[in-house]
Amino acid sequence: MSNGRITTRHDERFSPTLYKHIGVENSHTMEYYRSHGGYDTARDVLTNRTPEAVVKDLQDAGLRGRGGGGFPTGLKWSFMPPPDGGPRYVVCNADESEPGSFKDRYLLEDDPHQIIEGMIIAAFAMNLTFGFIYIRGEYYRGYQNLWQAVHDARKAGFLGKNIFGTGMDFDITVHRGAGAYICGEETALMNSLEGLRANPRLKPPFPAQAGVYGRPTTINNVESIANATQIMKHGVEWHANLGTEDSKGSKVYQISGAIQRPGLYELPMGATFRELLYDFGGGPVGKGKAFIPGGSSAPMFPWRDEFLDMPMDHGTLAKNDSMLGTGGVIVIPEEKCIVDALYNLVRFYAHESCGKCTPCREGVGYWMPRMYKKLLAGLGTPHDLEMIEEMSVHIRGRSFCLLADSCIMPIQGSLRWFRHEYEYLIEHGKPMYEKKDWWQE
Amino acid sequence: MKVTIDGRVLEVEPGTSVIDAIFHAGGDVPYFCSQEYMSPIGACRMCLARIGAPRKNPDGTWILDEETGEPKIFWFPNLMATCTTAVMEGMVVDSTSKDVKRAQSSMVEFHLINHPLDCPVCDKGGACELQDRAYEYGEGVSRFEFDKRHLEKHHPLSELITLDRERCIHCKRCIRFFEEVPNDEVLNFIERGAHTYIESVEPQLASNFTGNITDICPVGALLDTTSRFRGRNWEYEHTESTGMDDSTGQAVILDARTGRIERIKAGHNDEVNKTWISDGTRFGHEYADHAARLKTPLVRENGELRAATWEEAAQKMVEGFAKLDSKDIAFGFRADSTIEEGHAITEIAKHFGTTRVDHHPRAAVSLQPRQRGATLQDVATADGILVFGDVTEEAGIVDLRIKDALKGVDPAPLMNHGPPIADLRLKERMHRKTEILTVAAPYEANLMRHAARSIVYDPGREETILGAFLAVMRGESPGREFLEFKDEIEAAVAQLKGAKKGVLILGGFILNNPAATALAEQLASQLDLKELRVGPMANSRGLEYAGFYADNAEDEFDALLANSKGIFISHLNPAQAAPFKASFGRAEFIVVHDMFLTETAQLADVVFPATSVYERNGTIMNLEGRLLPVKPAPIGAGTAQDLHGVAKAIGDAVGKRLNGRSIRSSRRELKKTLRLELADVPRTGQLITQNSKRAASREYMESLRGDVLMVPSDYRVEYLPYNEHLLKEHGLPSLRLSPASAETFELRNGTEALIEIGGLRRRVQVVVEQSWTGARATLPALPEQPVGDGYSLVVVSRGASADVELAS
Repeated sequence: MSNGRITTRHDERFSPTLYKHIGVENSHTMEYYRSHGGYDTARDVLTNRTPEAVVKDLQDAGLRGRGGGGFPTGLKWSFMPPPDGGPRYVVCNADESEPGSFKDRYLLEDDPHQIIEGMIIAAFAMNLTFGFIYIRGEYYRGYQNLWQAVHDARKAGFLGKNIFGTGMDFDITVHRGAGAYICGEETALMNSLEGLRANPRLKPPFPAQAGVYGRPTTINNVESIANATQIMKHGVEWHANLGTEDSKGSKVYQISGAIQRPGLYELPMGATFRELLYDFGGGPVGKGKAFIPGGSSAPMFPWRDEFLDMPMDHGTLAKNDSMLGTGGVIVIPEEKCIVDALYNLVRFYAHESCGKCTPCREGVGYWMPRMYKKLLAGLGTPHDLEMIEEMSVHIRGRSFCLLADSCIMPIQGSLRWFRHEYEYLIEHGKPMYEKKDWWQE
Repeated sequence: MKVTIDGRVLEVEPGTSVIDAIFHAGGDVPYFCSQEYMSPIGACRMCLARIGAPRKNPDGTWILDEETGEPKIFWFPNLMATCTTAVMEGMVVDSTSKDVKRAQSSMVEFHLINHPLDCPVCDKGGACELQDRAYEYGEGVSRFEFDKRHLEKHHPLSELITLDRERCIHCKRCIRFFEEVPNDEVLNFIERGAHTYIESVEPQLASNFTGNITDICPVGALLDTTSRFRGRNWEYEHTESTGMDDSTGQAVILDARTGRIERIKAGHNDEVNKTWISDGTRFGHEYADHAARLKTPLVRENGELRAATWEEAAQKMVEGFAKLDSKDIAFGFRADSTIEEGHAITEIAKHFGTTRVDHHPRAAVSLQPRQRGATLQDVATADGILVFGDVTEEAGIVDLRIKDALKGVDPAPLMNHGPPIADLRLKERMHRKTEILTVAAPYEANLMRHAARSIVYDPGREETILGAFLAVMRGESPGREFLEFKDEIEAAVAQLKGAKKGVLILGGFILNNPAATALAEQLASQLDLKELRVGPMANSRGLEYAGFYADNAEDEFDALLANSKGIFISHLNPAQAAPFKASFGRAEFIVVHDMFLTETAQLADVVFPATSVYERNGTIMNLEGRLLPVKPAPIGAGTAQDLHGVAKAIGDAVGKRLNGRSIRSSRRELKKTLRLELADVPRTGQLITQNSKRAASREYMESLRGDVLMVPSDYRVEYLPYNEHLLKEHGLPSLRLSPASAETFELRNGTEALIEIGGLRRRVQVVVEQSWTGARATLPALPEQPVGDGYSLVVVSRGASADVELAS
């Protein structure tokens, strides 16, 4: 148990890093952060390292983006063109709005300095002087703590002109979103940041070529930024040894739904769902029927051993037609009607469709929720099921951005594993599981 | 770059979009959001196709297919929107297979679920892209069984444009048009998802080019209010002609039905107006069908005008002029008459033994640049532009072409199917190179919002401002008057010195002043700028080109009116101004050729009913020197005739076949002098770089200075009372005043007033411009009070018309 890669939290060599201070009283304050060696890493990097070395370290450490896509962070940073005299930006995407994901929230509320330190390192690595943190509008406490942290960092000379006396200038603007899921999509986020309507932009040009205000921009998830701090603090070796060959490092997983102990758990990448759901989550409440592995847009798995024993990394889940996404695991209990559960999700995506492209606006935004409503009203026909399947084919991969795909993937996942529940509902005019009183003691 | 489209191999330029490659190859895919001359956005997802491309090994060689030995095609995992995908070397496109067709038909289905099936009552029916594409690519049945979205059906975006929100398919063309083409952002989407709708934040649409969105709307959501519910598309007779409302020669399509012009749409002329026209040109046609138009000639009998036949009227004119000495007879006509008409009126004059003919309004200088002339393409590709004037109002298309230049994207070459449908160089919210543009005008012109440097000078100080530029060129100070603009002028000169394709644009304010124009010429030659001169009317340059103007001071229009005993006047109304009315009193015999019973016609002895510009056949020359054909729309206006008709009637009356009695006769004669067959001028025009004649500069009327400056307007002020919708949209002509001037004349913002300027009474609405300083006032020009003139202001009465009547 004490040599080779660390892929379980039970390994004694593992200890939480990202979430070490979450939940500790006053952990969001400058005093607390400084007393645990805060900003020493950034100071060290800025004083003793070169930008190229930092980017190389990140690539060697094998950090993959934690926002859902899993794109190598170091590679993304290396895409930034060299300075041309104009402004270039780093943006921290803190618009966490995917159902089932709430990891960034606690980082923002309880450890905002970790993010600021990561932003400083990112700015140094990419040789730029200005950053934005785009924070979800509903995260008010996170915004307050983050804003205070930025203010304190500025006062302490960690942000602003000539930080740490190294001659480097860097400052951060905290921007609050106004309640749109689509703003988590990086190009829509940039539009929103510029004060425009939050519609996704055409790619190419990619943000590194023309991002915020048409200038080179790199956008990273909160957890990726925090990870950068940790890699610089603990070293490349430490990070590269965590997790599987495919996905390295440690990851904050979230469990919600019918689970004994919902919450956040930092595990090395490659730990199994069983470890997360049973050893830390305490097992399902009642009988588990299915679980969504990585935020609402990831296709669900039935509650079976073969899936529970699957390691949580990007490659394995992709091979099984799902995705790790944000690591937000949602547990669906046996008694929950799967069609009803999907209706809940579909309504969410219908509500959040930005309206730019046709399949998403008309299909996801209008037609699909009505189909589910019809099924649940007991008025469905076998033809309706075919219609949902066919519509899914015509929407997925053909819309402008991934929002429509995010709606279709769980639908297709549910049809793959729980088609019989749809068929039962159509045949009998009532769901296979009729429990409605979820909120009663 | 070699690509294979559905089995057909062709060469296209790198950077071409796949959709253009498909159309270039003769194929077809449906699309709603792409639009010529605008950015592709990939929103409608109609133009899906299966695309594959070969890949290279790390050593740069192609990865080969093991079986065929050809480069292996790697198909993209998803169907791609072809409008936003650029071609790649060796790319293979499949736009016709069953899967692709099925994907396209499914997108049609998505488009139709919330689109009302009211085609039978929709004005777009029969000319609707959605309808056509649904027929071509749709399945013909809808599987959508829920309620459609219900929204406002008649939302007036302005008095001229009505929006049906249910019909909107969210292609974003209208929103992008405003942002990309005139760069007046007045529309956007509100709400999101299926609730998305189009709205303007401010009431009305603050732009001079709003009507274009009705042309590009792929469905019947945006409609021209003037033509709404007035006819079906297949009932209209389309006439491709040239717009006569300003000097740019914009291509238009006149749509007539049962003898009326119902609407005007933009024509396509890639080098002139592309597919955009200004609102004045589009909506300013209602006067042509107004009930007040003269249908028959009138002759004066016992002091009263009575209806008569053309024979009678012509006889009366011949008799009337016969009593006068031929040197006392003079002819004046309007500067939007065609070149052929100019010939006809000259021949009529010749018949009566006189050469005293002039057109009006006329610039004080030749409209042909002394050095190198600029075309509109030159403007669109310029890297330095200096504008003197307000081109947004004076020549809207010049404004749009300047905005093309600001985008820094050269015009795309035409492809087999015309301009590219999806020019990937164009983007939404592109960076505008405002630093290449400098604008100087005697008031805050709209174009100044887009210019890095703008200079507002006092009216009448054209010579001084040009002098200031020349002084800075010599390295001197711009002078005390323009000290506050020292930085702007220096920066402008520095920018233009560095420019390789600089253009100088001169509006009416400069061209009315020969001395200022001479200085501008110096500036152009010192900075090596091409020059574009904005003439006062549609054919100003053409009439100069063909030589139909007075080249001595005694025969110029104003002098003609004052010093003649017999006057023939076409389409002009000088008698609305008191001084001319008095001088007319001295004339012994007046013949008027006009559409309405104007003040001048009321004084006439003979009145001929005239055709509107939409009923004319002939040729004009636009501000670049481009000959363009004007074609008559089939509309009924009684016995109205153009000047050829007058020539013929006079010839008949005297038993002679006058030259110019028909357009053919005029063209035959003009061929001898111009060495050009005007009948052969193509629809897109023929550029003549050198005029056969060049008008001499006229004297500058120092006297024409005063409180109110006459400024250009996009719409034709003289016809405004007859243009119902345009009048509703704009209200009365605006008298714009600085707060100081408003105080002097005791005029309040938003009120109506009756004013007298230059002896002419005009009803105006008062607009106080809070940002204006000093004593300043402007009023839209009339042909009789052209751009650049200034008059002292007398307020006759304040308040609405009812109050005025009480007061008088």
